[in-house]
Amino acid sequence: MSDHDHDQNLDYEAGTASVVDMHDAVKREKVLQPSGHEPMGVTALVLCAMALIGGGIVFGHNNGFSSSIYVQDFYTPEPPPSEDGAAAADENVAWIDKWMKDGKKVYNNCIACHQPDGLGAPGQFPPLVGSEWVDGGTERLGAIMLNGIAGPFTVAGQSYNQAMPAWNGLSDEKIAQVVTYIRREFGTLPEGQDGVVTTEMIEAARELYGGKPTWDEGGLLAIPEDAMLPGAKVDLQTGEPIQ
Amino acid sequence: MSDNSQVTAEDVQERAGIDRSVRFPVMFFFTSAAVWLFVATLFGFLSALKLAVPALWADCQFLGYGRLFPAHMTALVYGWAMQAGIGVMLWLVARLTRVEMTKAKAVIVAGHVWNFAVGLAVFAIWIGKGRSIPWLDFPGWMWMLFALSYLMMVVWVIPMFRVRRTGDVYISEYYVIGAAVWFPWIFITANVLINRGAAPVMAAGAAGWFVTNLIYFWFAPIALAVAYYIVPKIAGRPIFSYPLAKLGFWTLAILAGWTGFQRFMGGPFPAWMPALSGAATLFILIAVVATCTNLLMTLKGRQKLWEYSPSLRFTMFGMLMFAIYGVLAGMSSFFSVGKVLQFSHFLVGLDTLAVYGFFSMTIFGAMYFIVPRVTGCEWVSGGMIRWHFWFSAYGILTLVGVMLVGGLAQGGNMADLDQRFAVSVGNSQGYVIGRICAWFLIGISNLWFVYQMGLMFLGKGRKSEGPTLIHGEPGKSAEAAAGLNPENA
Ligand code: HEC
Repeated sequence: MSDHDHDQNLDYEAGTASVVDMHDAVKREKVLQPSGHEPMGVTALVLCAMALIGGGIVFGHNNGFSSSIYVQDFYTPEPPPSEDGAAAADENVAWIDKWMKDGKKVYNNCIACHQPDGLGAPGQFPPLVGSEWVDGGTERLGAIMLNGIAGPFTVAGQSYNQAMPAWNGLSDEKIAQVVTYIRREFGTLPEGQDGVVTTEMIEAARELYGGKPTWDEGGLLAIPEDAMLPGAKVDLQTGEPIQ
Repeated sequence: MSDNSQVTAEDVQERAGIDRSVRFPVMFFFTSAAVWLFVATLFGFLSALKLAVPALWADCQFLGYGRLFPAHMTALVYGWAMQAGIGVMLWLVARLTRVEMTKAKAVIVAGHVWNFAVGLAVFAIWIGKGRSIPWLDFPGWMWMLFALSYLMMVVWVIPMFRVRRTGDVYISEYYVIGAAVWFPWIFITANVLINRGAAPVMAAGAAGWFVTNLIYFWFAPIALAVAYYIVPKIAGRPIFSYPLAKLGFWTLAILAGWTGFQRFMGGPFPAWMPALSGAATLFILIAVVATCTNLLMTLKGRQKLWEYSPSLRFTMFGMLMFAIYGVLAGMSSFFSVGKVLQFSHFLVGLDTLAVYGFFSMTIFGAMYFIVPRVTGCEWVSGGMIRWHFWFSAYGILTLVGVMLVGGLAQGGNMADLDQRFAVSVGNSQGYVIGRICAWFLIGISNLWFVYQMGLMFLGKGRKSEGPTLIHGEPGKSAEAAAGLNPENA
């Protein structure tokens, strides 16, 4: 390291650096050798696989690239605490309250159009409050949820011409919850009905209408106005079917 | 092997010529970056202080958090990090392509424009003309100034790469050339979307996308290029595995552009956007694993060098922070974790970890290697380098710890609806104090760095043979100090 090649002309201005030192810093440097081609190793492979699995889990919540679903499964806002501050223990809550609470969460998917209060947006999105479709039979509602609607559509004497997306990507349970929610929250229920739609009923709706094309108004009107989806009534306190 | 690893006289001559050809731009960028780093640290410290004691200078609008923090980030990102990165990039490209830089003057002119732009941006933010868009806080029209001067500084690497005098393309070359061309793409896309009337929600999305992309598409590739250069150079070993290195590169190249929207989980974006971004952030961990394995295997058996060689120590610490950054970013991409951390101190900490912990530390490593070569004198004192390292390391680790624990606690408090929001603010005070300590440590560490850099710039470095090591008497080589044989172990 000590013998310097004084022939080098480094052309540095006086005072900036000396040829000798410059030379040494460069000279002691090692040569960059051609890269090796070793295999990856098991640990690295396992770690990469973990990264892939983790990414897959997150990716699994993409809700099928739907442009109208805004709420992720693991990201549902907590409902505000009850008035008295203490949330009642789970067992003491009536089944229907939980069912409605879950329905409200699913309804987050709808608020962009139908608004949190269910009143819709005049001329654009129909209301759920005062809608004969919500107040009427559950078979029509199940059909709407599964396949969506397109084209001119009349609700409460007003006509709309937009598209209602299909929600067949949601589980039967979630559809049942949200339909229960809109019926009990926004609907005017006929005498003697509790407005509850169960998972079993949506299963039946899927049998009937699953995989059908998007509805137009005529197709839906062909379903009798008061047709109800088959399924057992349930006890509102326990959620158990009533024979 | 011995043929490849022999240093010949022509090699030395060629390297010296290349170093000489880039010395003015490189030193220009390094020293002005060092000055900006100092300014940024000052703003960072003051803004942390403001968070803890909001009443301090409450009547002075120039010292409000809303101005100090964006000014700090702008100085840190554009003044320090990008400028230092460009300096390293130019040097690396010249070295790797073995082509001398002929456009040094043009680069320096453009460099002045860039510095002017940074100065104007910081000043504009400071007098209240900022926009509150993370990492793009400067007044809207200024982006063209940045874009143009960037192009003027960096276009030269493309012709240099085209006439390269080496056979196969070394892995660092992929990374630097990638970074060189990716920046204009992300910078222009984000700014056009934001300034030219994209829907407000989309503009917010573009800003978030820009932040993670600047990290994965610019900071990361440059830091990795440095690591893939420094580690084999210091260790005197070839890179362990070229295919693995390329796996890392392509993972980053393909996936980085998909990240960013996970920051908006639960926000007004279709659910698939955050899901996809989160998944991409996790998939990028493959690049982290590939790089870390590769570097560790390259160093295997010669790790002791890291105790002595400043370049190696800073670079490897930077890579450790790269791994930590990758894991934390991946972790917070899970919806269940992200929703807690989303609005807490965590995110600020994560960004700082990327810019300071990971990128800057690696760049310090590069600088400790490059500057003696282009100036011809050695760093003044190993002791100062040691202090620079430890204060930086403790500073950054404090910051990471504080932001993680603090972020979880604060986010948990905020999510607890039975508690008033004010409680979550109150409870995070302790962590805010941690942040002040972190910036204080980092500030001190940079004093040593800026001082040494100034001496080197003025040609007042140590004029002796042999490198300045962290430990041991100067003049010895790192290998001799570590007691390893000079040739391949
Ligand atoms: C993209 C906006 C949009 C979303 C989201 C949306 N809807 Fe609709 N919905 C419509 C439109 C538009 C119509 C009317 C159809 C037409 O114009 O062709 C409609 C009609 C309906 C109807 C029948 C008409 C009425 O007003 O009673 C029901 C019931 C309904 N939607 C329920 C839901 C439920 C439940 C959800 C959430 C799971 C939901 N919608 C989500 C746009 C939307």
